[in-house]
Amino acid sequence: MMIHYRFLIEELRYGGKQVITFVICVALSIATLTALNSFRRDVHGSLIDEARDLQGGDIIIHAHQPISDKLQRAVDNLVKNNRLEQQKTFEFYTVALSESKDNSLLSGIKAVESAYPFFGTITLSSGRQLGDALGPGKVVVAQEVLDRLNLSTGEQLIIGDMGFTIADVVVFESMRPVSFLSFGPRIFISLADLDQLGLLGRGSRAEHEILLRLAEPDDAENITKMLSEAAVPRVERVETASGARSRVRIFFDNLLFFLSCISILTLMLSGIGMQGSLSAILYQKQKVIAVTKAFGASNRFLLTQYLIMVSFMGAFGSLIGIGLGYTIKRLFPLLFGDLVPQGVGYAFHPADTLEGIVLGILVVTVFTLLPLHRLGNVKPVMIFRHETGAAKRHTAPLITGIICSLFLSLLVIRQIDDIKIGIFFVLGLVLLIATVSLTASACLWLLKRIPLPTLALRQAAKSLYRPGNASRSIIVTLTSAISVLLVIFLLKLNLFATFIESYPENAPNLFCIDIQQDQKDLFQAVVGEEVLLFPIIRARLLSINNQPIDPEQERERKTDNLGREFNLTYRENLLDDEVIIGGNSLFEGTEKLPAGVVALSVLDSIAEIGEIELDDRLRFNIQGVEIDAQVTSIRSRTKSRLYPFFYFVFEPATLEAAPQTFFSAIHLPREMIPDMITAIVAQLPNVSTINVADVADRFGQLMKRLSVVITFFASFSIMAGCLILISTIFATRLDRIRETVYYKVLGADSNFVLRLLTCEHAMLALISSVMAVIFAEGAAWLICSTVFNIVYQPHWHVAGLTVIGSIFLVVLIGLTSSFGIIQQRPAAYLQQQNGT
Amino acid sequence: MSDPILRAAHISKHYTIGERRAIVLNDISMQLEAGEFAVISGASGSGKTTLLTVLSGLDKPSNGRVWLGEQDITDFDENRLAPLRNRLIGFVFQAFHLVPSLTSMENIMFPAELNRDPEASEKASRLLHRVGLWERRNNRPEQLSGGEKQRVAICRALINNPQLVFADEPTGNLDSENSREVVELLLELQQEFNMTLLLATHSSEISDRADRVLSLHDGRLVDTGYRQ
Repeated sequence: MMIHYRFLIEELRYGGKQVITFVICVALSIATLTALNSFRRDVHGSLIDEARDLQGGDIIIHAHQPISDKLQRAVDNLVKNNRLEQQKTFEFYTVALSESKDNSLLSGIKAVESAYPFFGTITLSSGRQLGDALGPGKVVVAQEVLDRLNLSTGEQLIIGDMGFTIADVVVFESMRPVSFLSFGPRIFISLADLDQLGLLGRGSRAEHEILLRLAEPDDAENITKMLSEAAVPRVERVETASGARSRVRIFFDNLLFFLSCISILTLMLSGIGMQGSLSAILYQKQKVIAVTKAFGASNRFLLTQYLIMVSFMGAFGSLIGIGLGYTIKRLFPLLFGDLVPQGVGYAFHPADTLEGIVLGILVVTVFTLLPLHRLGNVKPVMIFRHETGAAKRHTAPLITGIICSLFLSLLVIRQIDDIKIGIFFVLGLVLLIATVSLTASACLWLLKRIPLPTLALRQAAKSLYRPGNASRSIIVTLTSAISVLLVIFLLKLNLFATFIESYPENAPNLFCIDIQQDQKDLFQAVVGEEVLLFPIIRARLLSINNQPIDPEQERERKTDNLGREFNLTYRENLLDDEVIIGGNSLFEGTEKLPAGVVALSVLDSIAEIGEIELDDRLRFNIQGVEIDAQVTSIRSRTKSRLYPFFYFVFEPATLEAAPQTFFSAIHLPREMIPDMITAIVAQLPNVSTINVADVADRFGQLMKRLSVVITFFASFSIMAGCLILISTIFATRLDRIRETVYYKVLGADSNFVLRLLTCEHAMLALISSVMAVIFAEGAAWLICSTVFNIVYQPHWHVAGLTVIGSIFLVVLIGLTSSFGIIQQRPAAYLQQQNGT
Repeated sequence: MSDPILRAAHISKHYTIGERRAIVLNDISMQLEAGEFAVISGASGSGKTTLLTVLSGLDKPSNGRVWLGEQDITDFDENRLAPLRNRLIGFVFQAFHLVPSLTSMENIMFPAELNRDPEASEKASRLLHRVGLWERRNNRPEQLSGGEKQRVAICRALINNPQLVFADEPTGNLDSENSREVVELLLELQQEFNMTLLLATHSSEISDRADRVLSLHDGRLVDTGYRQ
């Protein structure tokens, strides 16, 4: 293999801006993905690989009601046989009061035993163990509790019926690595104090857990299986620590999945930019290559030289990419803020560097295949023929396309660890690109036939067909990049508009739950006005038309699922915001139902999820009692989701006797909510209150933070899109210079050339951005309607601004990159043509 | 004799390449009369193209001045030269220099469209018929032969009815038959349009048909005078 060093150095030197663009594209392609994967490893290391620390045990038994005797006996037997140890915990939300009862705070109470936890860490400010700090009448609280209730260590706190002394402050809790997924800050109490709180009445929403530490951790699967057999199906969940899907893990899985998708899009766009800039380098060198071939250089020789040149540029780009990835990762604390779990580091590990190098090699290899292959198409006769011949059809682009798709598929599968979703993602991407590509072709075809009013516009439109102009590729990539950004932005706007900004003026903003039957009158008295109390009976859906509900399968749904516990209610009439859309009345034809079958009204949204229709039979398990119900009506709602609603409504006679609590949704002036919460909890300590306005604020903050994170990653896609534009301008630079010279020779001035270039880039941007707006509006509408179930607002002003902004950006980049072309003097070019 | 349509006085053009100073044109003075056909002859590299670019205002002389009609265009900037080139001058090049993204018809129409001529299309059609390329009006340059390309280039040079046409080795890329046809066409059109034609060539056959031959040698011009 012969390496011609001088040839290589000269090629690199004269490659100039194209070489720089290529290197930036390589860097950009790997930077975000490397940073993200490094972060993912940290998060996994912190949350998922150390699953026992996150869950607190080897095995976790979980239920929303007291653990059944059968399961408890099974656990006790294993304890007796020294195969495991157990600890019980109870977790629920309730409002804590300051001693003076003038401040209140919704808090997450966790009642634990003295040895809690088996695994993981709870660090207290005093440095003591949790078990040492806790004791009868003592609590350990998060700093936020002290701050918001204006208390300090040693002072009293009231929970339920009982006063507690604040013994210590939690600094770190590995079981609760992030705070944004919780309704309120943590308060630890001793399990021994639980009963005295008087809070866990019938139907209360406490989470009952038993944590198990195994004598032989390898036994986890067997013991889990054994205990699952003893558990009440669908009510009690037995999971290993590694198999348990915590909310934190689900949140990060989803967020990292989404960010990975954006990073892969950036990689793909950068790859296209890489391809464009290498094509530009080789296009400029066509004559040199032709001359070299005329003097006997083989394709192999040239391929070797350019392969080495590409490897050098790729290696340099990869190094910059790794450095950029490191820098991006250093920005993560600023970017993610409190989204990042405690204990997650920001170091860049050797594995991250290695990944960057491997990714760089693969990306460069895959995306430079086609331009390098085209080296073979350069014939020595090109020395004599200046003009571009008609492009021949080759199979190389198709083969390269297949290789790129395969590479992306493997990358996606590796990133999201799910073959099915990976294939869907790539197919979706291919479908999007194919659709955009076809639409772009149609737009360009139309543009050719539309009579345009000015010469500059007409020439600009014709320039889009310049050989090698890659107008369609630019449109496809710009459309994809703008669409992704716009979809994200539109989703954010719609979620904000629905849940935060247009919070209905009279919508309830204080939810009160767990009101007991005998507390109804007192509750009305405390609230001071007649409020509607909705009875709530907790139950699970077992089957629809004898088809059993599979909880595991149901959990896979992105929307609400049928496997969870539902709140049933009973009443005789429709609510103000309800209408019947199936059947004639709530419980029509009850008298005709077979014995043992009761009437049921179903809300349309859950009917859609479960494909439930009128007369369908649904079987429920209501706290151990199974009942069959027949759908007699389907309801729909006319107001926002912020008003109370129930999926399943029964006749009063069916459920009146069942264990139940009551729920109330109240509207108050915002400033009165804290006082009302304090008053309710002072009189009715077991009642949990949720300040919905406060929750909406926190949700808004979370949305804003996520939006910043996503926009940050998506901005790299836009950068890659800009690089494609720049590389295409470089690729067609010689053609543009030639045309500019011809125009000037024929009498056009620089202003005309400037107008022409402006029109050309503006046309590209207009087509791309209008298509992007259409695709983004469609996609955002689909997601809002099907995933979020909210009414979609198109926000046309945003769409308009996107179009204007895109035109401005593309024209700016186009003109900046073409400055030398506008300034080109005809004589110099003509001399060069004659002289070479 | 009518007034000169083009006048040059003491033109020099030199380039500095590295440390070497190359003098391409050395103190050249000349003028062209309206309607004449003059040839600049000389060996390859003698500076024919450079002289044409300087005389046509595509390039500036290092020294000396150039007048187009009564206007001294030496110090004109590009924006002042552009309309002059559009209305008064036509160009025909050895390498044709047709815009690849435009069809034959569009290439011919372009200078007239720049001049906002409402009859651009009609004029281009007439010229295409005149040179026998009407059938090829929708073909792009890549679909034309060398002779056809040069005929399209000649039409493009003539569409604005210029006073002066510069032709730089117009047959240099053509075979002998096409060369003959192109020269015949150029001369016929020169008569029809009553224009001045300044043609750079090293072909003695073409020089023999010129009204006047200007020989370039070592950057200096030798005017052989008008033929009788």
